[in-house]
Amino acid sequence: MNETTNPAEDAAAEPVTEEATETADEKADEKAGPTLEEEGDVAADYLEALLDIIDADGDIDIDVEGERALVSVIEVNPGELSHLVGDDGQVLSALQELTRLAVARETGERSRLMVDIAGFRAEQRTKLQEAAQQAIAEAQRTAAPVSMRPMNPFERKVVHDVVAEAGLVSESEGEEPERRVVIRIS
Amino acid sequence: MLDEALGHLVRGIVDNPDDVSVTTRSGRRGTTIEVAVNPADMGRVIGRSGRTATALRTVMTAVNGGRGVRVDFLDVAER
Repeated sequence: MNETTNPAEDAAAEPVTEEATETADEKADEKAGPTLEEEGDVAADYLEALLDIIDADGDIDIDVEGERALVSVIEVNPGELSHLVGDDGQVLSALQELTRLAVARETGERSRLMVDIAGFRAEQRTKLQEAAQQAIAEAQRTAAPVSMRPMNPFERKVVHDVVAEAGLVSESEGEEPERRVVIRIS
Repeated sequence: MLDEALGHLVRGIVDNPDDVSVTTRSGRRGTTIEVAVNPADMGRVIGRSGRTATALRTVMTAVNGGRGVRVDFLDVAER
């Protein structure tokens, strides 16, 4: 059964699972860790100073989504920040990685914070949700399992959530980077 | 502007931000930015399998309008 995991495990699998395996007791013994709001503040400062240096405008929004802080840099002038997203979000991923390190340096704990720039992740999510809806419809029409394209853990979580909401069943199968969500009607 | 951006990104992730210094050199082969850090922070800026160094180079190239930037990391003792 190594090949399949349930959606909840999948979501936690992303960067580190240490936190997830801690028991509640262990957590209570430690001093309280950084809050997601604190993580968001550190990340916002780090990104804001970068924008200042490169003389780019951006409004910064701090949010908590699920169990993660989400820091979004919103474009003031359309297209001005597209180079900080890059092809397929490559630059955005690099910036997120650096921002997580900056947060970890401040808080002393590893961060799973998400960074979005110019609505890139939000748009990706909408597209993924649409793709999931189509796959659900196909599974319902054919009553056969439908396999999605390979996705990273975060993308798979988005799909699992849509499938669960539709009352169908989904599992992740295969090994990274070929791991993909398979949708079944039951 | 490039050196300032890189200095900021690096200072934010190391334990000894005051030891970070950045110099830019323009040569025939384009721009080279040298970042010197405290020896204890070398691992921080390189990262596992060079992940952090790659992320820094990716961002710097983007900030430079897509033109490649050479980023060299050295420890302060080497300077």
